[in-house]
Amino acid sequence: MILLLSSTTYAQTHDHKMMMAESKANRCNSSNIICAKTVTSAFAPNGDLWRVWALNQGLYYQISTDNGISFSDVVKVAIVAEKISARNENRPKIAFDNFGGVYLSWAMPREKKYTADVRFSYSADYGKTFSKPITINDDNLLAGHSFNEMLVKANGEVNLVWLDSRHSYLKRMKGEKSNGSSLYFAKATPRDNDWIFTNQELAQSTCVCCRIAIDFNKTGHLAIMWRHIYGDNIRDFAMITLDNQQTEPYRISYDHWYINGCPHQGAGLSVDNNNRYHMVWFNQGDKGKGIFYAYSDNQGKTLSKPLPIGKLSAQAAHPFLLHNGKALDIVWTEFDGLTHQLWHQRSIDNGETFSKATLLAESKSGSDRPFIIKSEGQSYVSWHRPKQDHWIHKL
Amino acid sequence: MNIVKILLVSFYFISVNASGEYLHAFNSEILLKQQQENKGKRWLMLLWSVDCPPCYKELALLRDLRKQYDLLPIIIINTDDNDEVSEERAQVIKQFELDDLLNLYFVEGQGAYNRYSIDPNWHGELPRSYFIDEQGKAVGKSGLLNKKILLAWLKK
Repeated sequence: MILLLSSTTYAQTHDHKMMMAESKANRCNSSNIICAKTVTSAFAPNGDLWRVWALNQGLYYQISTDNGISFSDVVKVAIVAEKISARNENRPKIAFDNFGGVYLSWAMPREKKYTADVRFSYSADYGKTFSKPITINDDNLLAGHSFNEMLVKANGEVNLVWLDSRHSYLKRMKGEKSNGSSLYFAKATPRDNDWIFTNQELAQSTCVCCRIAIDFNKTGHLAIMWRHIYGDNIRDFAMITLDNQQTEPYRISYDHWYINGCPHQGAGLSVDNNNRYHMVWFNQGDKGKGIFYAYSDNQGKTLSKPLPIGKLSAQAAHPFLLHNGKALDIVWTEFDGLTHQLWHQRSIDNGETFSKATLLAESKSGSDRPFIIKSEGQSYVSWHRPKQDHWIHKL
Repeated sequence: MNIVKILLVSFYFISVNASGEYLHAFNSEILLKQQQENKGKRWLMLLWSVDCPPCYKELALLRDLRKQYDLLPIIIINTDDNDEVSEERAQVIKQFELDDLLNLYFVEGQGAYNRYSIDPNWHGELPRSYFIDEQGKAVGKSGLLNKKILLAWLKK
């Protein structure tokens, strides 16, 4: 506990600086992206870079035609105002098809604490108009449905996964105990006028507050990685591929993090052209602490030896990774007590070896989770620095 | 308001939250002062977030224990460095009848700084509890604590 050990001089100086920052922060009440807590970015098939964020019950976006150097004017998505979860592990999602379709998904908090609905809206005209949002979860319960992730295939097939507490809600109603949420999946193709998102439960006893990681594998099946609860609150990661063959999830990590609580740290997953699953995660278990990278050539059944990433002593956290066909990039954040840092490592041999970690950028104003996005085989890192800027950088 | 809080308000700059006068902006000086005030006795510091369901269970546990027992000092710290939850965190503290305790919150944009200043080895998982003994030595534990552990530490 450094507070009990550190000098008061550091604390006093730092507190003063922080109060000055607070004064500036309080003036932030517009639709400006720097006021957002989170930003989500993605490249459209035509090479346009979109970024979307939520503020004051509205969704906003901008488009860049020069890979993030400049952006169009801010556009507010023309939907009725509603609450939108947009902080930490929860944030709106955006995806595209190959026909000018734009897809948005988010979690809308409901009137009771820890309840929300997964929402969805579709634009068939590249963002000029959006459909009236619909609720994806089909249980009609005032329960938790959030931490949504979305991928859309080129033909417009929308794949959604989320954490869903209907099971624990129903158990509580019967006076029974439950632990954790459930993993749910739904898909439909609105472009073909198929709007029926039939809900499917994939797993129970998932962690309730960590983002899910998803990617399509080489055969086009959805791979899903999430933080699971094993036994008595061991929070390790699990993986399932929806290929109609795998019946039970594989356990991915064995770090043995015992915590009846909220880690607030999900995983990263990227499947390359050889169907190698690349994974990255964070744990604080008694058998494994920090960020780890591993790959699997059998969809998670067995893994390479987990490789530590970043400096645990520097608060290495929130890793993300992406394979672009040529290189595998991992980014994560560290914090030295004053400055947030964005770090990067690259592998050009499919995860066998990595380059030395390099510092990409810093922030004194705060740090959102970093992400990697790609366009035509080129990867970019997207790092939102609240009150400062949304930083996009070619890797 | 107890004597410790009167002293704190008198000597230190405290940003008063509009949604709850019992919530004060985290300031390491406040915590250092609290440490000095509590020298020679055990105390507990609990950190929580509105986005952490198990945290609510621990707040409820503390509420129930306080009704049944005379407890040693407790400090509550909300880790949501986000003005959007100002009202919500105030309501939660009121709901769990903990508003007479010293309640602090991380100021917007300062979450990582505040967390690091408390414990650079803590990675933000919640709930987080620190057991501070008579000599001022602190031991941190992550996750929901049970009644037995809390009572064993806090009962006078």
